[in-house]
Amino acid sequence: MTKIRKGLAMSVLCFYLAGLSGPLWAQDPPDETAGEVIVLLKEQNRKLSKDLRRIQREIAALRADLAKPGIKDVFAGIGYIFGLCGVAAFVAARRKE
Amino acid sequence: MHISDGVLPLAVTIGGYGASAGFAAWSARRILSRDLPKVAVVTSAFFVASLVHIPFGPTSTHLLLPGLAGALLGPGAFVAIGLGLLLQSVLFQFGGITALGANALMMGVPAVVCGWFFQQFKGRTQGRQAIAGGLAGALGTAMAGVFLAIFLVTAGEDFFGVAKLALAAHVPVMVIEGVISGFTIGFLARVKPALLLQSSFQDKTRSFHD
Repeated sequence: MTKIRKGLAMSVLCFYLAGLSGPLWAQDPPDETAGEVIVLLKEQNRKLSKDLRRIQREIAALRADLAKPGIKDVFAGIGYIFGLCGVAAFVAARRKE
Repeated sequence: MHISDGVLPLAVTIGGYGASAGFAAWSARRILSRDLPKVAVVTSAFFVASLVHIPFGPTSTHLLLPGLAGALLGPGAFVAIGLGLLLQSVLFQFGGITALGANALMMGVPAVVCGWFFQQFKGRTQGRQAIAGGLAGALGTAMAGVFLAIFLVTAGEDFFGVAKLALAAHVPVMVIEGVISGFTIGFLARVKPALLLQSSFQDKTRSFHD
């Protein structure tokens, strides 16, 4: 009984492997001359470098955006100014006494 | 119009700090204690104005408002502008911290001169005050451009070339600043004329200690 089962499992596995390897053979490079392959590669290279340039541009734009002062900086500065003027007013008031 | 780190030679940097420290001390003693809230508000307005970008051709410039600060604060404008520039360079990275002295001179001296100019020519009517304020606003920016050129000469640039460039780049800013300062001062003259009176210019005996 177990032998039959083992045999069944083996055969299923064999079929599965055969099915797996099928597409691998189908993916063999088509009959092309080396020149055509180079042209294809160059085309791909061009596309990739175009994408890369776009991404680099986006990173630069992001960096410029990050360097810009945000609303937090604005309010921090206003707070500093009011605070320092408050200290000055405090000192002035104490001197007056 | 900010000078960045490492542009000016060392002697000018130190001299700028020394001169602006002297000016700041003189200016701080001229601020009346009851004017401190006004100083705070004008300083914050000056600090934030640098973020208002005016698109101009391929580049963009931003508001400077030394003329308005000078017209409202008089001699006290130097302290206000120095503080505003310090916070701008620390928080916004506008202008280098080593060039702060030179930057304060470049913006603060025109502001004080504009304040004097405004007090001399403001007249009595609201319209004349608005016009004097607008002229002070335009004059402040123009003078800041000339100061920028003077500082850049010490860094080895050709004076007239830089001055022409700085002034040409700031002509639209001058016009816009003039209009904004004129409207602001006209508005203040209508709703709160007391803000435009300056005891610190006329009344020299009263100081910070009164």
